[in-house]
Amino acid sequence: MAILVGGETKVLVQGITGRTGSVQTRLMLDYGTKIVAGVTPGKGGQKLHGVPVYDSVKEAKEEHHIDASVVFVPAEFVKETCFEAIDAKIKLIVLVTERTPVYDTMQIKAYAKANETWVIGPTTPGVISPAEPIKIGILPANMFCPGKIGLISRSGTLTYEIAANLCEVGIGQSTAVGIGADPVVCTNLVDILKLFNEDSQTEVVTIVGEVGGVEEEIAAQFIREKMSKPVVAYIAGRSVPSGKRMGHAGAIVERGRGSANTKIKALREANVKVAEMPDEVVELVKEVLQEKD
Amino acid sequence: MRLYEHEAKKLFRNYGIPVPEGKVAFSCPEAVEAAMAVGLPVTVKAQVLVGGRGKAGGIQFARSLEEVEKISSEILDADIIGHKAQGVLIEKKLNIEKEFYLGATIDGSAGKPVVIVSSEGGGDIEEMTRTHPQKIFSIQVDVFKGLRSYEARDLVKKLGLNGEKLLKVSNILYSLGNLSKDYDALIAEINPLVQTQEGVLFAADAVLEVDDSSLFRHPELQLKAMERIRDELEREAKKLGVTYVNLDGDIGLICSGAGLGMATMDMIRKEAEPANFLETGGGMTKELMAGALRVVMKKKNIKAVFINVYGGINPIDQGAEGIVKVIKEEKIKIPIVAKALGNRQEETWDILEKGGVKVVKESQTSKAVEELFKLLKGPE
Repeated sequence: MAILVGGETKVLVQGITGRTGSVQTRLMLDYGTKIVAGVTPGKGGQKLHGVPVYDSVKEAKEEHHIDASVVFVPAEFVKETCFEAIDAKIKLIVLVTERTPVYDTMQIKAYAKANETWVIGPTTPGVISPAEPIKIGILPANMFCPGKIGLISRSGTLTYEIAANLCEVGIGQSTAVGIGADPVVCTNLVDILKLFNEDSQTEVVTIVGEVGGVEEEIAAQFIREKMSKPVVAYIAGRSVPSGKRMGHAGAIVERGRGSANTKIKALREANVKVAEMPDEVVELVKEVLQEKD
Repeated sequence: MRLYEHEAKKLFRNYGIPVPEGKVAFSCPEAVEAAMAVGLPVTVKAQVLVGGRGKAGGIQFARSLEEVEKISSEILDADIIGHKAQGVLIEKKLNIEKEFYLGATIDGSAGKPVVIVSSEGGGDIEEMTRTHPQKIFSIQVDVFKGLRSYEARDLVKKLGLNGEKLLKVSNILYSLGNLSKDYDALIAEINPLVQTQEGVLFAADAVLEVDDSSLFRHPELQLKAMERIRDELEREAKKLGVTYVNLDGDIGLICSGAGLGMATMDMIRKEAEPANFLETGGGMTKELMAGALRVVMKKKNIKAVFINVYGGINPIDQGAEGIVKVIKEEKIKIPIVAKALGNRQEETWDILEKGGVKVVKESQTSKAVEELFKLLKGPE
């Protein structure tokens, strides 16, 4: 089984008639994703790539069973779009849009939590499970292959790079999830880690982190205390000066955490193998798999 | 986007937060005029978008108009922690009795606003989080309700205040909370909130950083944000819709995705130095990539350009058309190495190779970086 999604997951595309929505719908369909409907207010009644378009999520739900939604609308409409999906009781929302205001993200996160909905993102490349096969989002299919590595990433394109590196040596992924790298994300790294810990198809977890925030430090604590599977990590931005700091108040919240070094230290203390460069992830994963056998 | 102190104070004042009487000046004569209007003695404060200016000589007192002129001239000419002052803020000097710290920011992992108070303001609050964490109090705020006035009072009470003082300080905190929410602030900070010997409260400093992603709903700030970018290339890149950071090296860099960009920089730094960091974001077009290469090539010393992009959300074949167009039009002769994978990778390789770009087809960025190093060294 994959996490979050399965081969039978029925998907709705919000913002289906936009440039990105339209192109990505075609790519998801080609991969095998079961897209049953799309929504663009004002464009109801049309068909795109054979997918019926509705004016609202509610109308789409009246005609179709829907498990998940993927959002491609511009940043200023993201909040309303996600609220509409949550109100329609869709339980998984993949929010691809970049540059969503942080206050809007915080509201979506709080509303999703109150309604027991998973929102992945914003700025997520999405979720892919190659064995099913299903992908919800923008991940290029040819970079991924089926296998037993659970991949969690804060960086979109770096996810593709690591997955492609792994596939080249025949190591595939159970599911890959990009959580996004905004200051606030709706689903935290540790939440995905917990799902992989319970997932029978996943044997090893790979984390791709980057400087800023304290996601990796919190994940390290969970790994130390609860994780039963080996974890390999890479943190991007070691040579980046700590210029992205949020001033005094930010430093108070982070309490001395948040740099590449504090993340690497916390992860190593939790027995995670941390790669110095992205290529080394493959070597470390190989090592871990050999140790397991 | 960070606001200058005088801009932030104007907003603070609109929210009923008391700020010292003051005027901003952009020249020495203006500074003297401002001091006359405000009344001596005054504090002369450098308007820079960086913390720690006090220690760098950016905040000084003046008792006479001669001193105002001398200090202002010094500050306006000086380099303050790598920044040139936009102007000076002339404020009535406060007789400080006590200093508090009030701040509002965002707890990224919790995904909630937080407000923070301390009775030990003024100094290095970051240092204090390490040495005296028990003197700092904070609460998370409900993002829908915002900070409630009773929550502000409960928090301020922990500083040992009561009566009139409790109400005044908590009212200021409540206003700061409201302002943060209205202005999409990543940070709103008063350090210090001064209690004068006369018993009056003033926000002696004001820090306000607004979320760049929210600027579409703050049009008055959006305009300023563009003017504020000092680096000409960074400004040009911003207009194009890409993130560009000017660096000291001579290898031009174009990447899609910040994580991949940072990882690529880490690798290039083994043997060379990037001239820039450029991240396309997810809105790639032929025009955007053409513009990106033009911006990168504007620096005279560029020895080679390294392109590392993925076709996920981005149409990299269209991007490749843009690159090839610029190579032809600008008659670019320096080596350009590209790694481009994902959707439509074969089409992309074909376009790039025909345009004279060295394409590396392996999935490891390190292999492409090795190719770059080889080309830099020239034929053996």
